[in-house]
Amino acid sequence: MTVLLALVRLAVALELLPAWAYGVGTILLFGVTLEALVRAYKPSLLPGLGLLLAGLGLGYSTAPAVLLALLGVGALYWAWAPQMSEREQASFWGWLLVWPAVGLLLVWQIFPSLYALWLSFLDRFNFIGQSRFAGLLNYEILLTRDPLFWKAMGNTFWFVIFTVPLGILLATLVAILLNERVRLLGFFRTLYFLPYITALTAAAAVWDWIYHPEFGFLNWVLGTPGLDWLSTPQGIFALAMAPLGIQLQGFWAGPSVAFVAIMVMSLWHLLGYQVVVILAGLQNIPKEYYEAAQLDGASWWQQQRYITWPLLSPTTFFLSTLGLIGAFQVFTQVLIMTPTGGVLQDTLTITLYMYNKGFRDSDFSYASAIAVVVFAVILVLTLVQQRVLERRVTYET
Amino acid sequence: MAFPFYWMLATSLKSPQEAQQAQPIWVPERLKPANWRVAAQLGAAGGTPLWGGYQDGRSVTLRIYTDRMGPEPQVFIPTAVGAFSDPRAEGTQIRTRYQGDHWEITFTNASGESFRLLPAVVLLSKSYSSYRPELPPDAVRSSGDDWRLEWVNLAPGALGYVFHNYREAWLAAPFGQYFFNSFITAGTQVLVGLLLAAMAAFALARIEFPGKNLVWLMILATLMIPGEVLLIPNYILLSRLEWINTYYALVVPWLASVFGIFLLRQFYLSLPRDLFDAARIDGASYWTQLVRIALPLSIPGLVTYGIFTFLGAYNALLWPLIVTDRPEMYTIQRGLQVFIGEAGSDYGALMAASTLAILPIVLGYFLAQRQFIQGVARSGIK
Repeated sequence: MTVLLALVRLAVALELLPAWAYGVGTILLFGVTLEALVRAYKPSLLPGLGLLLAGLGLGYSTAPAVLLALLGVGALYWAWAPQMSEREQASFWGWLLVWPAVGLLLVWQIFPSLYALWLSFLDRFNFIGQSRFAGLLNYEILLTRDPLFWKAMGNTFWFVIFTVPLGILLATLVAILLNERVRLLGFFRTLYFLPYITALTAAAAVWDWIYHPEFGFLNWVLGTPGLDWLSTPQGIFALAMAPLGIQLQGFWAGPSVAFVAIMVMSLWHLLGYQVVVILAGLQNIPKEYYEAAQLDGASWWQQQRYITWPLLSPTTFFLSTLGLIGAFQVFTQVLIMTPTGGVLQDTLTITLYMYNKGFRDSDFSYASAIAVVVFAVILVLTLVQQRVLERRVTYET
Repeated sequence: MAFPFYWMLATSLKSPQEAQQAQPIWVPERLKPANWRVAAQLGAAGGTPLWGGYQDGRSVTLRIYTDRMGPEPQVFIPTAVGAFSDPRAEGTQIRTRYQGDHWEITFTNASGESFRLLPAVVLLSKSYSSYRPELPPDAVRSSGDDWRLEWVNLAPGALGYVFHNYREAWLAAPFGQYFFNSFITAGTQVLVGLLLAAMAAFALARIEFPGKNLVWLMILATLMIPGEVLLIPNYILLSRLEWINTYYALVVPWLASVFGIFLLRQFYLSLPRDLFDAARIDGASYWTQLVRIALPLSIPGLVTYGIFTFLGAYNALLWPLIVTDRPEMYTIQRGLQVFIGEAGSDYGALMAASTLAILPIVLGYFLAQRQFIQGVARSGIK
């Protein structure tokens, strides 16, 4: 009830509801509690009243009132605890323990998601000026008339293709090799894991320096002085096919060289995490399977193919779901390495685009529409992935 | 895998000219022990052996060994571009004389002020067939008939010499404040988040209360919400509450974590039920059960959650980017992002700042490696 009240207060703060709604809500809730208290005098209701008062104080952000009310709840509990029945105690403690987390989730996650949905129906909402309800206008513009959105979606698609299956394959390979040479396992695991705990901001700065056109290390290694990796917008498929006389355009030109450079950096960053998770999965596979296979004369490759791969599938499934969601959140490395989204927006990712729309163009409703579409896409993709992949996942019995 | 780290460290110890070589330099001059000794001597002459300095009244003497006594080198103190004059250039007495096999250049501070750095430029005729300054110059350029030898600091001291870029980066931006903000936000997020998650997870795993299924359903639904959806509404909420540029904005929205509740609930469910029943019969309240039994037994889970939360909060850029725009509220990553924009081509300072930014996490990782790796591995197994 207190949570509800806090939400009403929030809505008032956001000008979704008129100010008197809060007062009415308070009086109503207070009345209901008092009435219940008078009708069926139950000591367990008193702490509830205290919590209500706490919520009231929260609404007006007066810290002393909140503190006082919480102290009151404590005192009441002390006084009434011996008379409480077992069920009342469970109910009291259950709600008391769950309430802070649930309240925060409601205020900062569930309510905002609904609010984002509402915002996406408004016309150019920002702090200046009045915005009006525009229905599906934002979605219509986004889906039919916004090439940049589709560019960002295409980039995200390539990111998923290049980092998720490739990353997992690479990580599986590394993990299998590490798992067989146990002596240096600790050292290599440390080595592979280091990039994952490194802040992306700093890591991107280093890779930016490695990719530097004039003094970059990569150009020295490859003997390609002056090649500006991060400002090369040509698609890699187009570049590969050009000598054969095939001209690829648009989406089919593939991710740009600049975006591939960013993907390589992201692979480097993520590989350690994938390796560690897969290693843990590998160590859960009973050794007896391999021994039995060896007795039957199975080759190394057959062992990996028929024992490791299927028994590892829950882990790879988990990693691919995570990778899919992660790909839609790629932001930091793109912002650091190509602050403007690259030449011709060739490294624009969906989160960067949303950030630009919301915080540079101050169009919160359009950015919210992007967020809602992303939400829907992620939801559909994970559902599809579960339907398609989960059938192939082998759970050990 | 480790190469980018080596490259970051090596570059952070390079002078700008060393960094900007087409042919990479593997071991920068500042890593050579012979130079440390000279740097300490020069630093002691101008200030202290470790951190150097150019104090009022002190003299710093640099020797340049040459094959013979040729034309006298010209020495001056460079003034910053755009500055009208540098008090060092005005108030420094420079004497040069030839001593056996070397030129001795003495800088005496008569300006009445003390300085942190003593920059110097020496123009040495190209007619010398060989020359070797005691302290290798940070840059050598050709200037007409002369070699132009440049030092960013002639009185560095041993540490001031090796960590020149670090010191300059640290002083160029309020990194101390950034670190403080990062630790405060990440620390609060971990501690309060742990308590809230443990409380909720315990109630969901071990207490039968009306509405429990509803709460669980709500938490499951929250799991579906991707972070991007929350950015804009939460920003609007925070600005309506006038919480932008406060610690509240950095911490409060992410205090309750569904991931943490899930993880710990799983832990509490795996603990034997009898344990709690026994405590209940002995008259322990639910709170006592949580603090005395559940928390101590779930330490691995708490560590996993703590490490993940700390990493996430410390390494985050997007959220601090949105809710802070005043330097005194920047977290370290946000500060680094601004620094990257400002440092331009000073890659030495840039890499030094990046190294500083990752240092606490890397140190923590080496100290508690097992917890880190097991914690992460645990996140993948149900």
